[in-house]
Amino acid sequence: MAPATIAVSLSFRLVPPRPCSVRARWLRQIRASSDGNGVANGDRKVGVLERKVGDLRAVVASVPPAVAALRRNIGLNFIAGFCLGITLLAAVARQVISRIHERDNKGSVADLIRRGQLKSGQRGMAKPRVYDDPFNNPLVKIDEGTSTAQVFGKEYRLAPVRLTTEQQAMHQKRRSRTYQWKRPTVFLKEGDSLPPDVDPDTVRWIPVNHPFAAASTEVDEETAKQNVYQKDGVPSRVKAEHEALQTRLEASHDVNILSSSQRNMQRSERQIRLSNESSGQNSLSGIANNQNGQPTLEFEKHSPDNSSQSKSLEEQ
Amino acid sequence: MAFSPRLLPATPPSRCPPPASSRHGGRTAPELSGPTPRVVVVTSGKGGVGKTTTTANLAASLARLSLPAVAVDADAGLRNLDLLLGLENRVHLTAADVLAGDCRLDQALVRHRALHDLQLLCLSKPRSKLPLAFGSKTLTWVADALRRAANPPAFILIDCPAGVDAGFVTAIAPAEEAVLVTTPDITALRDADRVAGLLECDGIKDIKIIVNRVRPDLVKGEDMMSALDVQEMLGLPLLGVVPEDAEVIRSTNRGVPLVLNDPPTPAGLALEQATWRLVERDAMTAVMVEEQERPKKKVGFFSFFGG
Repeated sequence: MAPATIAVSLSFRLVPPRPCSVRARWLRQIRASSDGNGVANGDRKVGVLERKVGDLRAVVASVPPAVAALRRNIGLNFIAGFCLGITLLAAVARQVISRIHERDNKGSVADLIRRGQLKSGQRGMAKPRVYDDPFNNPLVKIDEGTSTAQVFGKEYRLAPVRLTTEQQAMHQKRRSRTYQWKRPTVFLKEGDSLPPDVDPDTVRWIPVNHPFAAASTEVDEETAKQNVYQKDGVPSRVKAEHEALQTRLEASHDVNILSSSQRNMQRSERQIRLSNESSGQNSLSGIANNQNGQPTLEFEKHSPDNSSQSKSLEEQ
Repeated sequence: MAFSPRLLPATPPSRCPPPASSRHGGRTAPELSGPTPRVVVVTSGKGGVGKTTTTANLAASLARLSLPAVAVDADAGLRNLDLLLGLENRVHLTAADVLAGDCRLDQALVRHRALHDLQLLCLSKPRSKLPLAFGSKTLTWVADALRRAANPPAFILIDCPAGVDAGFVTAIAPAEEAVLVTTPDITALRDADRVAGLLECDGIKDIKIIVNRVRPDLVKGEDMMSALDVQEMLGLPLLGVVPEDAEVIRSTNRGVPLVLNDPPTPAGLALEQATWRLVERDAMTAVMVEEQERPKKKVGFFSFFGG
């Protein structure tokens, strides 16, 4: 095809904008002649309308050849190639995106959760499935006549078990001859000495790094057994700890009572002193008279801090 | 101390018994067999075979069947049962605290929020240590105390630690029955055989096996032992065969036992079936050994559109 032809066709295709420019020109003409008489203006308007219609007809007439030109230039092969290309591009883009995504999250817990293989906060919360007979359900069908089983859509041949009771007994005898064993009942740590009343055959020697090799046993065997058999009430150690704490609390409570009584006495002593000072009497003789001397002395023996605290108050 | 005698299976497995469906079909719950509480230890010998997962699911399944169950985590050093039940944030008191007299036994039991018949008891906290002198007797006293309780549980399930040392000795002490969990590989089988021997020496004769993490595709290609091969090697009745299932990891992370999954999963259903057999003192009579070939459909060009 000659370049000139293409140029012509292109210019032909670019025809539609023309009416706009023409229209603009018409508008300018209308404005310019707006100062003339009304009859002349009416004729001109009719002429403009006729021209508009004519141009519109020309545009409409020019469209079918443009479509034909498109059909002539873009063939079926081009469309097919275009679609194939888009499809390939989309497939490649999808692969690239998925690979990037996989590389970012592969093997992570988040990925497992996203794929539904791991549940974040609902582990062990499965709803029990409605019960089906495992020997007779839509997934497992056993045909007795043909000795076949259809399991999950696959057919299997059923072979009968060949083991007889005689064979079973024979195997038991073989094993009893081969493995002569007595279950150990006593565990001893490697290196420990064998107690005198223990049969050496019943001893299992435990390596030092074994989970059973804890040497320190806080409870004796009988207590441990009782702990296991305990059905209700407070567990023994918790009870023992509670009792011990209670005893300590009681002991400390006695001391507190004593200290609080002494504090009260001190307070009263201070009040008396203050009152004596104000009345000009001797404070010390007053205290001795009121508390008989003994409690104050005891308190001073027990808690010198309080006494110092009282002294400082006196100084004030 | 008085204990009820160790009970043998009511119905020993016989050759070619009737299929399971004939016994279980049409019922809504299994019939509880034997005196309660039944003390069952879930053990394996080898670590990582699924003891704790099995214990959690058996306990949850029992509780859903309205059979009160106490799940005891006897792993003093590395406890995990609380995580699988989603109760890790609620374990503040343990059996060690009960022994020390810090709390009563009923206070140390943690009740599940959704399954009210399920309670958890942990032996000790990870950093605390049990008294050595009576370590082996702890669970015996606990089981006996639960038996004497006003509302005794129907089942006491003890999650045994791996190995055969002091933890194992402590865990099996009160048990009357044992569930031996194993995977179909030779390392787990050797340990399972040894543990079965020790249990039998201790007088626990009711031992059943759960074969865990079975892959039928590998069994079919003879790259993995089948459950029947495992049974033949150990000579013990089968309680269940649990297929390998990715949902186990998901349920562990969620803290919800697999048997509560909705929709059900293959492993969850297998564990439910195992629970029914445990309650009824029953054993597996037939095993799904291989996947049958289905006739291949002709696939046309327009099959994608349903053509």
